[in-house]
Amino acid sequence: MKTVFNFCKKHAVSLILPLCIILFWEVAAKVVDNRALVPTVESVLKRFFHPFADLLGIGNYLHHIFASAFRVIIGFCMAVVIAMPLGLISGRVPILSRMINPVIEFLRPICPIAWIPFALVIFKTYSVANLFGVQYTRSIFGDIQIGMLFVIFYGGFFPIFVNTVYGVTSAKNIYIESAQLLGCGKRQLFKRVILPSALPSILTGLRIGLGNSWMVIIAAEMLPGSEAGLGHLIMYAYELADMDIMIFSVILVGIIGSLLSHGVKLIENKTSTWQAKER
Amino acid sequence: MSFLIIDKVNKVYTGKTNEEIVALQDISLSCEQGEFITIVGSTGCGKTTLLRLIAGLEQPSSGTITIGENAVTGINEEVTLVFQQYSLFPWYNVLDNIGFSLELKGVDKHERIERVQKLISLVGLTGFEKSFPYELSGGMQQRAAIARALAYNPKVLLLDEPFGALDERTRHRLQEEFLAIWEREKKTIILVTHNIDEAVFLGTRIFIMRDRPGKIEEEVLIQLARPRSRQSKEFTDLHLHVRETLENILE
Repeated sequence: MKTVFNFCKKHAVSLILPLCIILFWEVAAKVVDNRALVPTVESVLKRFFHPFADLLGIGNYLHHIFASAFRVIIGFCMAVVIAMPLGLISGRVPILSRMINPVIEFLRPICPIAWIPFALVIFKTYSVANLFGVQYTRSIFGDIQIGMLFVIFYGGFFPIFVNTVYGVTSAKNIYIESAQLLGCGKRQLFKRVILPSALPSILTGLRIGLGNSWMVIIAAEMLPGSEAGLGHLIMYAYELADMDIMIFSVILVGIIGSLLSHGVKLIENKTSTWQAKER
Repeated sequence: MSFLIIDKVNKVYTGKTNEEIVALQDISLSCEQGEFITIVGSTGCGKTTLLRLIAGLEQPSSGTITIGENAVTGINEEVTLVFQQYSLFPWYNVLDNIGFSLELKGVDKHERIERVQKLISLVGLTGFEKSFPYELSGGMQQRAAIARALAYNPKVLLLDEPFGALDERTRHRLQEEFLAIWEREKKTIILVTHNIDEAVFLGTRIFIMRDRPGKIEEEVLIQLARPRSRQSKEFTDLHLHVRETLENILE
């Protein structure tokens, strides 16, 4: 009880606005008095306490969180594995960066969602399970559509790439020269100076990229071919006009999104204290 | 044959509109091993450029620089430079910063820590081994940077206004500490400064530079016994002489 009180005391200022919003919502629900339009706070939030209850006949919410998260993890990891090394190399090899920059700058402003129809045409609704030759399966891999991975990858790729390049190219000359004057060769320079000085920026790229991927997956799941995921749940609830579950799912999306961002932020704070304090 | 020889070195840059900017003109000086050379001159006289040339960070447009037997053609292990700006790696703590060159050489961990600890106590940073640069004051950062350069153990140590950003008291204390280190380690030192007092207090010889183009105006041999007293007549006479020379250049 005491710890709860202390927590509230410490975060009192940050709690004011959320409480106001909830209050406003409750008042609005009372005034409108139509649950199909504005559900009550209680009817939405109570769903948190029933994680295993089936929603609309398409599974419980943990199932949908899991489906969305799994897609993002795989698609995002693909983006990291390709964007980061590419960024590191192109940041150090000017000719390579001049070669790929025009393409990057053209593709970057295109919203990943604009590619979804294209992805549907190319990859149809093939899943990772199909890739392994399994025709139909209820396993989790059956829920991971290639087209979705493509748009998640797209959403994650550019922030990671751009921030990695920025980090690598903005390593301060004085650190590079100091290292060289202390007998640091090229390979060691990359490991001991360029990489550590780029790390804060790389982590920022990862955080933004992960956030993008999470946004994109929800949108992708709303489109045809999806049979699970929070985006699918939102759309399905819309079709059945179940406002409770719609809002509940949106809140889940928000909570998970901010947890993801916060998680990377924690790593950032731990590894890049020096950068925040530098100026 | 002297240990370090700078022979008719010129450095010309090309400006934005393709005009030639002569940063250094006909610089010649030589010094023996273990000498403490100070170079004074106003801002923009090419002092820093000269150090960068000696360190091998840049190449002269003409002329040669020789250290020991070898001509300087690039960065080499005979020489290192302590920058005017804070240059400690912000992602390493004091211990790892000072031990940087030792780790590159593959010195094993025990020996490395032992040697770094000696340097840490030499520059008076005991207790700050695990501190990061942003946790240190400017003076402490410069001491760590000097210790880092000493760990590399070069024959020639170049210093670019290492005490420039410090208040007078801290500067005087660091100067004295640094003199003690020099007397122990017997390194060849070239220190650049715009502070006349510093140049006279530390150097065995002073080179006074003029600007536009950067040239050596005068060489002054300092034969004052150490420890030098800033209040002695000889010291103040020398101080005045250097000041007059610098003021004549400005006119």
